[in-house]
Amino acid sequence: MSAAAGRGKLTVVGQSLPMLGAHDKVSGRALYVSDLKLPHMLHAKILRSPYPHARIVHIDAERARRLRGVKVVLTGADTPRPIGAIGAHKDEHILAVDKVRHVGEEVVAVAAVDENTALDALELIRVDYEELPAVFDPEEALGPGAPAVHASGNLVREIRIDRGDVDAGFASAAVVHEATYQTQPQYHAPMEPTGAVATIDASGRLTVWAAVQSIHRNQLRLADALGLPTSRVRVIQPHMGGSFGGKLGEDSTHYIAARLALACGRPVRLLNTRLEDFLGVRARMAARIRLKMGVDPAGRITAKETWIHGDNGAYCGLSPEVILVIAARLDSLYRHRNVRTLARLVYTNNPPSGAFRGFGNPQMAFALESHLDVLAEQLGMDPLELRRRNSVQPGDTTIHGWSIGSCELSKCYEETAKRIGGPLRRRPRAPADGAPVAEGRRRGIGIAVAMHVSGARQAADWDGSNVVVKLTPDGRAVIICGEGDIGQGGPTALTQIAAETLGIPPDHVTVTPADTETTPFCFGPMASRLTLVAGNAVIKAAEGARRQLLSIAGQLLEASPEDLTIAGGAIHVVGAPDRRVTIAQACTAHIFRRDGEDIFARGTYDAPSVVADRKTYLGNVSAAYSFAVQAVEVEVDVETGVVRIIRIVAADDVGTPVNPRAVEGQIHGAIAQGVGYALFEGFALENGRLLNGNLADYPVATAASMPTPETVLVDGWEPNGPFGAKGGSEAPISPTAAAIANAIYDAVGVRITSLPITPDKILRALRERGGRRDA
Amino acid sequence: MSLPRHRLTLRVNGEEQELLVESRRLLLDALRDDLGLTGTKRGCEEGVCGACTVLVDGRHVRSCLLLALQVRDRAVTTIEGLAGDGALHPIQAAFIRAGALQCGYCTPGFIMTTKALLDARAALTEAEVREALSGNICRCTGYAHIVEAILALTEDTKR
Repeated sequence: MSAAAGRGKLTVVGQSLPMLGAHDKVSGRALYVSDLKLPHMLHAKILRSPYPHARIVHIDAERARRLRGVKVVLTGADTPRPIGAIGAHKDEHILAVDKVRHVGEEVVAVAAVDENTALDALELIRVDYEELPAVFDPEEALGPGAPAVHASGNLVREIRIDRGDVDAGFASAAVVHEATYQTQPQYHAPMEPTGAVATIDASGRLTVWAAVQSIHRNQLRLADALGLPTSRVRVIQPHMGGSFGGKLGEDSTHYIAARLALACGRPVRLLNTRLEDFLGVRARMAARIRLKMGVDPAGRITAKETWIHGDNGAYCGLSPEVILVIAARLDSLYRHRNVRTLARLVYTNNPPSGAFRGFGNPQMAFALESHLDVLAEQLGMDPLELRRRNSVQPGDTTIHGWSIGSCELSKCYEETAKRIGGPLRRRPRAPADGAPVAEGRRRGIGIAVAMHVSGARQAADWDGSNVVVKLTPDGRAVIICGEGDIGQGGPTALTQIAAETLGIPPDHVTVTPADTETTPFCFGPMASRLTLVAGNAVIKAAEGARRQLLSIAGQLLEASPEDLTIAGGAIHVVGAPDRRVTIAQACTAHIFRRDGEDIFARGTYDAPSVVADRKTYLGNVSAAYSFAVQAVEVEVDVETGVVRIIRIVAADDVGTPVNPRAVEGQIHGAIAQGVGYALFEGFALENGRLLNGNLADYPVATAASMPTPETVLVDGWEPNGPFGAKGGSEAPISPTAAAIANAIYDAVGVRITSLPITPDKILRALRERGGRRDA
Repeated sequence: MSLPRHRLTLRVNGEEQELLVESRRLLLDALRDDLGLTGTKRGCEEGVCGACTVLVDGRHVRSCLLLALQVRDRAVTTIEGLAGDGALHPIQAAFIRAGALQCGYCTPGFIMTTKALLDARAALTEAEVREALSGNICRCTGYAHIVEAILALTEDTKR
């Protein structure tokens, strides 16, 4: 059988089963990193930079070192090796060396017998800084005489793409529109702040329990940062209290815990406070996007030209990859012929940016999908129709060389339009549900579209997964897998895929904890890759285990394995249900015989994708693409500028939903984060200082912020996916902000081009356009 | 710097406990560190997120905003004490059934808030449930399945 298992009748895949570990989570038994304690464990605290840019003249930590209960104090002198999430951009250190480049940068780390002693020690440390001129705007940072954040210059990465004939495309357009959009840094706000517990054994071998998304990648980076062989570093992922990209290990937390443990020879626990989590994680990159697009009279896009300035902040993390996504990914959503892009990623003295669910797509989706609505209006065309006329189709090779496999955008459009109660073209609008609207309020509807990869081949020419399926003597299956769980429930999908392949009940399948010591190499949940990439590896391993199972059963039953089938916990001869052995008997017999062994099969899968060419950016980077269409109805109070979300319709093409309720949960959660991105989330920065580093002043969506989205999982089948499945967790975060912006425009006739769309922006725009205006 | 410790008696999940705590000790830390009841979570440290919600004499409170000494001789219920002996409380079962959790970090707090809510009122509308949950933050689920789980437990939705 091919990696993509067939389309037969599915019994386990497609069922909304409870998430693995749910019982532990609802009863308070699930252990997160902050719940872990080791004997003789020390507690760590970090002294951070108060300046956005300063030279470290001198650090006097002697009084802190002498404080009773303090066991170790480390500075940048102890952490000389450069680190970075991308090998080509190792631009930082575990603790600041010579200079600090953003407020909150880690400067000194202390480990003491308890947290209060560690905090007291921080008070005794004196750091002499010489403040340096700082720069906070990426365009200013590229200007002459701008302060150099790094000696290498402020330009981190420049991407130039020029395809087709953009000038001719604009010349042939009926309508051309140009506008600039601004997005803000968005904080992941996982309910669990980042933390790590590190310890060494008597030989100096390091074990780190870390809230990180990718244990194997973080093992490699840790070993490199600490100058240790990989085999001397073990990373274990406890339960994770949310991540959304924030715990990809771009921040220094687990490095610091590990370095302290090595320095003092005792277990060390480092837990970020909420404020430290704000300061330490790599927020969604702020981007300024100038967009110029033309459409012909039939609504076909004739040309697109884009200028992007990404605010990298002080250090890179994964932002050099994020900027490429902003620059290019959504070009594969429509049938472009002429595209020209200049994207620049620029160092500033703002907090560093990095990976966040959507990985660049939400920024560009806000700009692009707002822009398309303007073009539709100028053309006098329904905005949904404009998108329909340009959307990619199954079998397309897009302008950047992406091969579109399954693509059910048409169904997504149809379902969205049907449920939101179009037409979407702007006109005086009554509420879609016919409810009366209070005086001074206006209703509006907006739509937007986005896509996402299902795994992406980026830095290395491997986007694979390795797993092992082992059957136990009682006939149960264990998936030995290091992909891990960041809370989204990916491993639950893997158990369903294994159970479907093996023909056993899903609750007979478990997944090992993610531990570099005991699991084969893999990348972990990111880029919406787990279901497709790890799912295909699980199918291969489970097929191998099934072959071994049928082989031993054939020997026991004196039958050919081809004549056997698995059903009801047993293996029997087809047509002779009485000639049977239980799975447990077969598994046991496989071990207890001469030269016996466990039923134990490896599965490895590498996606049929390529690394995009480093110069031309051409190439099919993913095995499959997921699509999300959303429509939002809002009510805008023209007196206060407050936006209330009345309805959200979300239609998603995720191929086969392996666990529909879990997929729906991903869509709900993505939309809630998208609502926050649209309306109220964002760093308030003043000269690089974060003014709202707490969950009271940085509001995220609450249960009262939004209604339950109406979700539709359209019928689809991805040929490269396990049982037709593809990723689904990231596409639905991207369209939400533009759908809301478009709905606000529909309601009150003002186009807000910067996020978040706060009431003051709406009121100012209403004033500027000359008082209130009826829709 | 260590401070003088005070003797504290309280009842936690039906058991008498006696602790020696500094006056600055938060109830949250007394539960998690002194009693090992780590199901109660620290999220925001300032009473905004509700991850640390426990019941004190049946009322839901944020244990990060209370000093341990403030609950002297009171009855505290944490997520570990909601159901006896490995069984599931109906709220816990409803959360699992509805898929009302993902990472699970906020879940104990939501469940304790729900317990107080349903103890006070059996019948609730969706709007009332959403309002009652607005002191608990969940970053994963978008709340829809949590609301669904709670409505499934209330009486008026079945009429």
